[in-house]
Formats: sequence, structure tokens, C-alpha cells
Amino acid sequence: MRLRGALTILSAASLLLTGCAPQTDSLLVYSGRSEALIGPLVEQFEQQTGIEVEVRYAGSAELAAQLLEEGANSPADVFLAQDAGALGAAAKAGLLETMPDELYSLVPANYSAADKSWVGVSGRARVFVYDPSQVSDLPKSIFDLEDASWQGRIGIAPTNASFQAFVTAMRILHGDARTLQWLEAMKSTAVIYEKNGAILEAVEAGQLAAGLINHYYWYARAKEVGTSQMSSRLSQFEGADAGNLVNVAGVGILESSDEAERFVEFLLGSEGQSYFAEETREYPLVGGISPADELTPLSDIPSPLIDLSDLDTLAETLELIRQAGLI
Amino acid sequence: MQRPPFAAVALGLVAALASLVPIGYLLLRLFEGFEAAFAELARARTLELLVNTVGLTVSVSLTALVIGAFQAWLTVRTNLPFAPLFAVLATLPLAIPSYVLALGYLSLFPWFSGFWASWFTLSLATAPYVFLALSAALISSNYAAEEVARSLGKNRWQVAIGVTWPQVRPAAFASVLLVALYTLSEFGAIALLRFDTFTRAIYNAYRGSFDRTSAAALALVLVVLTLIVIYFERRYRGDRWQAPTSRGRKRRIELGEARVVSIFGLSLLGLAGAGVPIASLIGWSFNQVSFNLLRLGELVASSLLVALAAGIVIGVFALAISIWNLRFSSRVSNAVDLTAWAAHALPAVVVALALVFFGANIVPVIYQTIWLLLLAYLILFLPNALGLVGTPIAQVPKSIEEVARSQGLSKNAALRKVVLPIAAPGILAGVALAALTVLKELPATLLLRPNELDTLATELWQATEVLAYSQAAPYALALIIIAGVPALVLNAQARKLISEVS
Amino acid sequence: MPLLEIKDVSMSFGATQVLSGITLELENKQLLAVLGSSGAGKSTLMRLLAGFDSVASGSIVLDGTVLSDSTTTIAPEKRSIGIVPQDSALFPHLNVKQNIGFGLSGLAKDAKEQRVSELLQLIRMEEFAGRMPEELSGGQIQRVALARALAPKPKLILLDEPFSALDAELRQQLREEVRQVLRAEGATAVLVTHDQEEALSLADRVAVLREGRIIQVGSPSEIYNSPADVGIATFLGESVLVDGKVVGGKILTDLGSLSALNNVVEGASGVVAIRSENFYLQPNPSGDSEVVGRVFFGHDALVEVQTPKLRIRARSNGPFAPEVGMKVTVWVRGAVNFYPAS
Repeated sequence: MRLRGALTILSAASLLLTGCAPQTDSLLVYSGRSEALIGPLVEQFEQQTGIEVEVRYAGSAELAAQLLEEGANSPADVFLAQDAGALGAAAKAGLLETMPDELYSLVPANYSAADKSWVGVSGRARVFVYDPSQVSDLPKSIFDLEDASWQGRIGIAPTNASFQAFVTAMRILHGDARTLQWLEAMKSTAVIYEKNGAILEAVEAGQLAAGLINHYYWYARAKEVGTSQMSSRLSQFEGADAGNLVNVAGVGILESSDEAERFVEFLLGSEGQSYFAEETREYPLVGGISPADELTPLSDIPSPLIDLSDLDTLAETLELIRQAGLI
Repeated sequence: MQRPPFAAVALGLVAALASLVPIGYLLLRLFEGFEAAFAELARARTLELLVNTVGLTVSVSLTALVIGAFQAWLTVRTNLPFAPLFAVLATLPLAIPSYVLALGYLSLFPWFSGFWASWFTLSLATAPYVFLALSAALISSNYAAEEVARSLGKNRWQVAIGVTWPQVRPAAFASVLLVALYTLSEFGAIALLRFDTFTRAIYNAYRGSFDRTSAAALALVLVVLTLIVIYFERRYRGDRWQAPTSRGRKRRIELGEARVVSIFGLSLLGLAGAGVPIASLIGWSFNQVSFNLLRLGELVASSLLVALAAGIVIGVFALAISIWNLRFSSRVSNAVDLTAWAAHALPAVVVALALVFFGANIVPVIYQTIWLLLLAYLILFLPNALGLVGTPIAQVPKSIEEVARSQGLSKNAALRKVVLPIAAPGILAGVALAALTVLKELPATLLLRPNELDTLATELWQATEVLAYSQAAPYALALIIIAGVPALVLNAQARKLISEVS
Repeated sequence: MPLLEIKDVSMSFGATQVLSGITLELENKQLLAVLGSSGAGKSTLMRLLAGFDSVASGSIVLDGTVLSDSTTTIAPEKRSIGIVPQDSALFPHLNVKQNIGFGLSGLAKDAKEQRVSELLQLIRMEEFAGRMPEELSGGQIQRVALARALAPKPKLILLDEPFSALDAELRQQLREEVRQVLRAEGATAVLVTHDQEEALSLADRVAVLREGRIIQVGSPSEIYNSPADVGIATFLGESVLVDGKVVGGKILTDLGSLSALNNVVEGASGVVAIRSENFYLQPNPSGDSEVVGRVFFGHDALVEVQTPKLRIRARSNGPFAPEVGMKVTVWVRGAVNFYPAS
């Protein structure tokens, strides 16, 4: 009986372990961008190349943290992040391999990492979305939102990577102290959402007067339901305001392989870029591909002049956000 | 005494070790980043979370007590018309996972959020626990003693306070503490309703920032709170007056004019706890432009498979430990049993967090695989299963086993051929219940699931996060139908109560 | 004037008539036993007296006050009627002393303590004052329940089959004690029971209840010796029923011609009830009856005898009981009750 028991346990255990051998011939992508956005693109890639792709969807900061946690043990091959901050954090920890030159040169240098650890894939602008029936006086500056009149009417998503990137920009432009002040004001004034999508839905439904999101959410929804059906409107702040930050989503390679490079190539190729332009309504970064017609040209957006590489001080930004009690 | 089967011992030890992992690794983590952890705890934010969490727990506990007592008294002690119907209605919220209840109201009132929404939702979700406990206590309390008290000069109120209440007090205490425990560990509903308690803060800290030590620090505070509640729960659990149930017919109190108000109140509660949210979900389900039946089917299949796998794993371990502890009891087996229960104190978020650390750093081979998730389920639900699986085994009288032995069977053979077959239906029910609980589980699944795995719960969650209610609603209804209702049907307490009241 | 007067009380549950035309009286300091089998309506009567149900018609008057009639019902807590229920129902969360003192909250602390210790002495449980009910034996529980009911000196005390939960030996013992305690307190009591031994030995008066009606009221010996009908005759004690016909003022039966206790109509046919202990079995080698069976109880024996026409069971003195196979002559002692066929 004893021997039989031991054998049963051993065979069960060995079955367990074989069952978890990671598959070596597929690509594991950590995507800080949602499945709704990236899923179809990945499918296209799989169909075209026959390479199997497994994607883990989660928040960019969460994935960055996970990568840091996993360190060299990480099973991930590629990190697709919603913004520079998360990529920068991974790069700082030495987890990203240098991007091959032929891929890195596809994108204008100011949209990628200075040290070539990651490359930008698509651009996004921070915008102010509002319900015209509830908002008559548009804020001119991001700091106008500190006013008590916005109590309970403005929505933000502090766990979202783009918001965090924008806060980093604010730190660069105005310093930590002023940023903390703004964040603390938001703590008492703003309504906290987990996702940008939720903010947009809330404004559309009339529950929320306004919110800070990325431009493409609005345009993607407008494409789906028809621009005339949209009740909310977009606006930018005046001047080179931190709230107008133009940021990029980017990709970095953790484990160099043929499949990984082909994936990055695909993202930067005409299919990938047109997808971002047409489907998700973002700004393509590779030359020769224009954004969707209704979008404001990138050059017309009064964005602050910031070196995107500087946005990688995400850890300090998060510290401020937490200090303000938003996370 | 004969030695226990090797398999039982091996499995038992593995389970005990597994249960120690979460708290062990959490403490390890905290020691490493002690200063950071301490700084985290000293923040004003932690105080805010403490006030929110404790405030919510206390208010929900008290409200659930009031609701449960109201329902129990009326259905069990008075001549309320349709009493069995109202009894069923009062237990119905148990079939609805709390985050589904929250979704039901969110989809109806988009502004439904914050403290009051959380208090409202959780009070309705937990009142059935109090209802079941108090009903059972009221049924078994001594009716004749109450009549004697009246003959001795006490009016109805004095009797209720002086005679009835002391007899049901232990049950009231125990169930209220259970509610408190539940509220402390609650994640899904509170996160959807965007109220900041420890569980939500831990989850967001994990997701939204790099420094996981802060998440660990918050987790520790939460664990301390739950331990306090568990301490009291264990203390009062065995506190029961050894009152013999009174014989003779149970007399019911005439309600008279109060009948209308009572029916109105109970109906209102029934609507709030089940009717309104379900109606809203049904409404939203039909609102779909393109209802993806295929996707629903996929999710149901994957949820069921995971739940089944978990149920079997949990069942096997529970059986091993129960057999070891009940039939071959020793100090080691007792320790194993106790350790399994110790993990019961930990909210799912905390266990998941600890396992992420553990998986990523110590055992990467199972990291992000189904095995780590199953391990989490084992740690979380083994305590429940131990009770459900152990009781049928314990209830098989020793004399039956002794007769079998006298017929020439060895102890192990007697166990296999006599005890287990008799206890089998109870054991299966226990395993089924464990599986159903896994079906509904949210936080651990969110944090630990492998990349390709989606369950009804996680899909529902993701859809609700972006306010896609028409997408979330069918998943919610599916959860109620395949997880909630069967769990309620299997709930022995509920079944017993309905038969007593009918 | 009687302390308790129950006048023509009726009561029904839905369509079933549970009690009809109940009329009873009870003098001060007396114990009335209401005797009946289960379903007869005993518990209902108790509940009416205690005040937990209202009468449909008739009235219940205690010490001049109307407790219940078709227009008014006084609440139980105002009736000054104590209850000792079937399972005693001690308050499980209070100890013996607290149980007994439960109804004394109107008294000053000293008076209360005095009364409680008085009762503890009476039931001989002084050392158990601090014990909890779960620590007591069956007999002790009943005694405490009795003391509790008596503590506030109620006008009437109701005992609902108080000994049915106990074993035979304990029952006997407890009956004596209870009687003594009731006497010592000068209590007026109504005892409800299905046990005829209990009713006969404890009560001053016995009322037989059957299917919601009072069939007969009288002293124990009246009820026993002159049962009003065959049903009562067979219910109380062991009887043998023999057909008979009234001839010449006596009753002609298969056991001979018997004298009648009650008035009889000449020529009437009916049934005679003979108590087992009223048979005398005379050993007689040429007797016409034979002993065919015997159950020996020690102090007495139940002897089965085959007479020429009947088989009877007779109670016989233990040591002198005839053996199986003996020939005897069967005599009937004394007069018997005759019940004409209706």
C-alpha cells in the first residue's frame, strides 16, 4: 500500500511538471494595451506569418512591475506598453535588449528611446472630453481643474499608463511640488475610474461632466456608432499645457529571436501602422502613413516640448500619485 | 493504532505546506523591505483605508443582523402567510455573487458607487447568513419556556429580550462575525462600486505601481483585521446553550394588522436582494445588438472545466486530510488540519498576491500556469471543503466500522468498502460546493490566471470596468444559473430551514 | 365559592371542534386531574386556562375574575396562573436560583432571596442553587420547574403531563414529592395527564376528557369504582367485558348471576365490566375453569383462566396465584357496573 501510494504521487507529480513546460516555439507578448485594441492585430500577424502568439493583457505599470519581479526568469519575449514610462522602467532594469538598427530607424528618433532599448509604435494625444450640456466654460489650463467647481464632475484613471505619463510630463514642466498639489486637488475633486474607456462611457451617458483620456478612445467610438451619435466633445488645453501631452505606445524586445523581430517589424510595417491609423485611430509614427482624416494633425496639437525618454521616471511619478492618495 | 494510508499523509502534508506559503512569503517580503513597508503604513492613506474598511464592515454587519433577524422572526415565529416563499426569498441572495449583485444595480443606476452603494449591496448579500443562523436558532429555541415566562408575569417584549434573545444570541454573534469576515475579504463588489477599502487598494497598488511591498504592507493590515474577527468567531462558535428542543406543536404568533407591513417589508427586501438586480441583468442581456452565444458557450465551458479540476483537487486533498484526522488522529494530523484552516483567514487578494511573488521568484515553472491558480484555489477553499467532506465521514457511526472489522476487514479496507461508500453522497456534495465556489471566484483568478484562460467571472469583470453592461449581463446571469442556484440547492442549512418552515 | 369555574367552554381549530361544553369546578387548595388519552383535548384546555388561546364560547372565571369569555381575554402575564410544561422548559441561560426567581422581579431583593431559598428548601435542592439546567437530572429539572411556577404564589398552577418524560421509578418518587410541595404551599392545581395511575393517586377530583367532552367528574374512587361508561371502565384499570341481561334485578352472564351496582332496567341487554382484581380464583379440583396462562410480577400475577364460556384475565395475589393447569372456580366479588346496549 505504501509503495503504491508513493508511485501514485510520483507519477502524478511528473505529469504536473510536464504539463507546465513552457512552449518554446511561440511568442509570448506582454501587452499593456487592451485586448480589444491589440487582439485583432495579433490575429492578423498570426495569420500572415504562421507564428503562434500568446498575449498577456494587463496594465502597463502592472506588467512592468511583473517584469521586474520576474527578472531574468521572465517568460516574456516582447513588451508592448501603452507609454514610455513603463518601457523606460523595464529598460532601466536591464531587461530590454537593444533594438536592431533596421527596426529602430523606421521611427523618428524623438519617438523612441535614446538608448535604442525600445521603439515607438503609435502616438496618442491627451485630450479633455466633455459633455457640452454640462460644461459651458472650457478649462484653459490643466490647473483650472483644481477649482472647486469641478467637484465630482471630472474623471481620471490614475492606474492608467497614459495618465501616469502625463503626470510625469507635468513633473518635468512644473516640478514635483506643484504636481503633488494638483494631484491632491484631484484626490478631493475628481472621480476615480479604472479605465479610460469607462470615463468616456460615463461622459457619453451624461453621468460625468468631463474627463481626461486619450484621443483615440473618442474617435474609435465615433467610428463605431457614427460621429453624429456622439454626445461628448473633445478639446485641448491652451498653450503647451502638460494636459496636451503627445505620447507614444512602444515596444521592446526582452528575448531576442526571429519571431520577436518579425513581430516588431509587423507593428512598424504598413499593416500595423495602418491598423493603428484606421482601426484604433491613433497617430502612425512611421513615415508615409497618414492618420485618419478627422484627426487633428499631430503638428497642430499644442503639445509640451518634452523628450520622451525623460518620461521614464515612472517610479517617482507613481510615488507622487500614491502620496496624493490616488492609488 | 494502525498507521494512516501513505497517500493521506503525503497529501495532507503538501496541503499544510501550501497553506503556509502565502503568509510565509508575505512576511518574508515585508522583512526585506521593512522600512518601505513601515513608511507605507504611516501614510494618511492607510488611515483612510482603515476607516473605510472598518466603517463598512461594522455597518454592514449590523445591517445584516437587523435584516436577518427581521426575516427570521417573521418566517419562523409568526403566522406569516406564504412563510416558505419568504424563506426562499430571504436565502436567494446567496445564489448571487456579490459582484453580480453590484453589477445588477450599477447597470440600473450608473451613479451607484461609493460607501452607501457598497453598504447597501453587501448588507443584502450577507443578510442570508444571519437569516439562516437565526432561523435555525429560533426553531430550536424553547417555545415552552417563553410561555412559562409569560405565565410568570412577563409581557411579550420582556419575553423576547429575557428568554428568546439569550437563546439565539450565540447564533446571532457567530453569523454577524461571519458577515464581518466576508466584508473584510470582499473585493469584486467594492471594486466595481469604486469604494476604497483595503482589498481594492491592494489590488490597485499591485496593478498600478511598481512597489509591491506597499501592496504587501496593506495586505498585512488586512490580515490583522481578519485575524481579530476570526479570533472572536472561533471563541463564540461553540457557545451554545444545551437547551433541549421543546416538544409539542410550535405555536405561531398572530400578526394581525402587522401582517400587511410585514409582507410589504419582506417583499421589498426580496426585490432588493434578488428581484431588482436579476431583472436589470435580464433587461441588459436582451439589449445586445449582437449576442455572442459562442463566446458565452466558450466561457461557460472553460469556467466549468477549471471549476471541475479545482473541485477534484480540493476534494482529494480534503478527503485525505479528513480521513487522516478523523480516523487516524494524531498530533501531526491535528496540526495539518489547523494549518489548512489558518489560511482561511486570508482574503483572496492577499493569497493571490503572495502566490504571484512566490510563483515568479521561487517556482517559475508553474508561474502563470493553471497549476498556480489551482494552488491558490486549494489554499483558499480547502478549509470550506474540510468541513463539508469531514462531516459525512464523522457521521458514519464507529459501530458500523467495528462491525465491518469484526467481519474480517482491515482498517483500511473497512474505510474503503464501508465508510466511504456511506459517506460518498455527502463527500460529493462537498466537492460540488467547492467547485461552485471556484466558479464564482474573482480576485485570485484575475491575478493568477494563465494568459489564455478567461472565465465568466473575469470576462464579466473586464466588461463592467468599461461599463459595457450589455456585454457583462449575460455572463452574470450565466454565473447565477450554473454556480449560484446549484450552490443554494446544495446548501444543507437552507434546505433544512425551508422544510421546517413549510 | 369554587376558585376556578369553567362554564360550558367550547373551542375549535378551523373546522375541528376540539372542546365542547366543558364545565368544571375546582375548590381552593384542591388538585383536579384532567384525564384523557392523547388527542382528547387536554393540551387545548391547558392553553385556554393559561391564556394562550381564547374560548369560542363559554367562560373561565378564576377567583371571581373573568379570565376568558367570548368578549374578553386576559393576557397570560396578568392571570396569575403558573405553568409546569411537559418538558419543564427551564431557562437554559439561567441557573437554578435565577430560574426560580424569574417571576419575582416585582419583589424587593431581600424578599426575593428569601422566597427563593424557601422554595429551594421545599424541593430539597439548596446545594444546587448555582447549577445550570444542563447539569441537572430529569427529576431535578421537574422540581425546579415546579418551584419556579410556585414562586410568585399564583392563584392556580397548571401541570401538563409533568412526569411523562421520566422513567417509571422516578415518576413514582416525584409524584409523592410534588403532592407534598403542592400541599405545603396550599396550591390549587390542575394536572393534565393520560396516565390513570397518576390521576388517581394525586388528585382530589378527576375529570375524564374524551374527544373534547367531559364524560365524568368525581373523586378518584368514584371514577374508578363507578365509571360512567364502558369506555372509562376499560380506560381505567383492567376490566373484562362480559355480555349480560337483566333478569330479576340481577345480571345474568356467562359467569353467573351478578349483583348490579347501578340501577338497571328489567330485561335490558348490555355489557358488564368486571375489574381483574375483583375475580376470586378458588382452587377446586372439580372446578369448571382451568388456568391457561400466568404472568408473574412478583407482588401480583395476571392469570389467564378459561371458563366454560369465556376466557378471562384475573389479578391474583402473587405468592398465592394458581399455577398453570390448575382447576379453579371463578367468583366475582361484589357488585358490578352494568352498561345497557344503546
